[in-house]
Amino acid sequence: MDDAHHGHGRRHFLKKLAGTAAVTMAGGLATMTAHAQPGAFPGKLLQVWSCGGLAEAMNPANEIYEQRSGARVSYTGAFAAALGKSLLGGSTTEVFAGRVLDLARKLRHSGKMLYFKPLCFTSYVMVTPRGNPAKIASIEDMAKPGIKVVLAPEASPPGGAAALAVLKKAGIQDAVMKNCVTQGSCVQRTMDDIISGHGDVSIVELRVTRIPQFEGKMDVVEIPEALFPPPPLTFTIGVMKDAKDRALADDYVTFMTSPEAQALLEQRGFIPASSDKGRTLVEKLGVKDA
Amino acid sequence: MPDRACTSCDSSPAKAVSATGLAVSGSVGRACGGREASAVARAGRLPLLRRLSQLAMLAGLGQWSFYGIFRCPFIVPYVSCQNCPVLTCHGRILSLFWGAWLLLPVSALLVGRAYCGWACPGGLVSQMLGKLAPVKARVRNAFTRIAPLGAYLALIGCLYVWFAMGQPRGNIPIRTGEFFGAVSLTFEHAGLLWLVRTGIVLTLVALGLGVANFWCRFACPTGGAFEIVKRFSLFKVYKTEACNGCDKCLKVCEMGTRPEETACTNCGDCLDSCPQGAIGFGRKPS
Repeated sequence: MDDAHHGHGRRHFLKKLAGTAAVTMAGGLATMTAHAQPGAFPGKLLQVWSCGGLAEAMNPANEIYEQRSGARVSYTGAFAAALGKSLLGGSTTEVFAGRVLDLARKLRHSGKMLYFKPLCFTSYVMVTPRGNPAKIASIEDMAKPGIKVVLAPEASPPGGAAALAVLKKAGIQDAVMKNCVTQGSCVQRTMDDIISGHGDVSIVELRVTRIPQFEGKMDVVEIPEALFPPPPLTFTIGVMKDAKDRALADDYVTFMTSPEAQALLEQRGFIPASSDKGRTLVEKLGVKDA
Repeated sequence: MPDRACTSCDSSPAKAVSATGLAVSGSVGRACGGREASAVARAGRLPLLRRLSQLAMLAGLGQWSFYGIFRCPFIVPYVSCQNCPVLTCHGRILSLFWGAWLLLPVSALLVGRAYCGWACPGGLVSQMLGKLAPVKARVRNAFTRIAPLGAYLALIGCLYVWFAMGQPRGNIPIRTGEFFGAVSLTFEHAGLLWLVRTGIVLTLVALGLGVANFWCRFACPTGGAFEIVKRFSLFKVYKTEACNGCDKCLKVCEMGTRPEETACTNCGDCLDSCPQGAIGFGRKPS
């Protein structure tokens, strides 16, 4: 019994020791990977596709990564659904950062993506000309008679559709559409209408207000999170099966989810997945690899 | 080179007065003496200068030019750069490029369609394709008189899209990405209107392989706009009353036209072609 007891205790101790060592080593490896040695991938090329909405944040992040790793990032940013359709067809890339959780899941289930991680989340705000001349304070104000609303329902999703979904959830879509002075096909032109004072209010992603050409040129009014349509909120980043250098692709994904790259995403108007708010959304929206 | 049989210096027809230092006498075909020889040399250098100018402008405007055709999400390219989400296009990066449009009317008032012959990257491509074209269309007939109206139709079409249709966005913009991959994705996901527009443009440019400079002569809306303004231009390649209609200038012109006439881009290729010395550049003598 004693031997057995001692044996059990010894095995337990050794298992615990081995487990601790493994966790420590894994942690150490993760830390080493997160802070890739300068020039760890000299001359290597990594093809990265992402939702176009991430482009303003990913371009500077890519520059940092290139300097850090010695690799070159061949980056394409475009409408995620289009890129996803291409990837589900015959196109290939090595890392894909897409919007809409279902797209990442489809790529995983089709075997084209090896894994994904939550990257960040978007949010929606109302924008008004500087000084908010129409005194827009809440979403309901968009429905008041005489308010000039600018929307872009024909813009590629989620630009137009998400704004309409917010209004629908708020129960004011019909009244707001009556106030619409512009129903365009481009979110960026919507911003011009607001900045120039052609319209009193519009709904856009917060990230759009951080695009350099618009930043600081309008006022931003928050929209309650409960009104946000869930599908477009989530951005994930994953390694594709066509990654030629798996270590490089993994390292890139680790970098993009590192505090340094996540801070760049936050600067550009996203909610980083690694933030408290981001972790809450990860749980709430179920952003887990499957 | 034309025959240079000497007659007399005094017999040289009126010479163009240069406003820019580039002008040459139309009399160089019969030139003699140091001054005329110098003019011949200048005229000989002119095509080289023009090609160098076009290459320099290709380096400066080329990316913008080709993005306009292949990646610009708007139906009428080049004119909505301030709203364009394509981050890698020079028209988007440098507001200077968008502002360049303001310089075009100024250049048209100064030197007519010279932009087409000296600066436009699309013009350079069209002219290079024209070298391969079996049909130069350097004749005056019903086709070459009527076909240039196509440029005005194209201009009207662009104005309609801009004002009446509100300049719709016709493709899913590839915001950034390497050129050929992004072009491929653009075509894969573009809307029908964009595909039709781009198909028409590429077809008309490709027709330049059959009929020299088809795009520039018969289809370019910018050229159509220049045509309207150029009649008020300050300086131009012109022909004087000494012109006897021999059409030797027509035979050397890439655009298949004569000075001052429709499609003349003030390129200067014809400056030393006239046996009558009837062609000059500058302010047209009244």
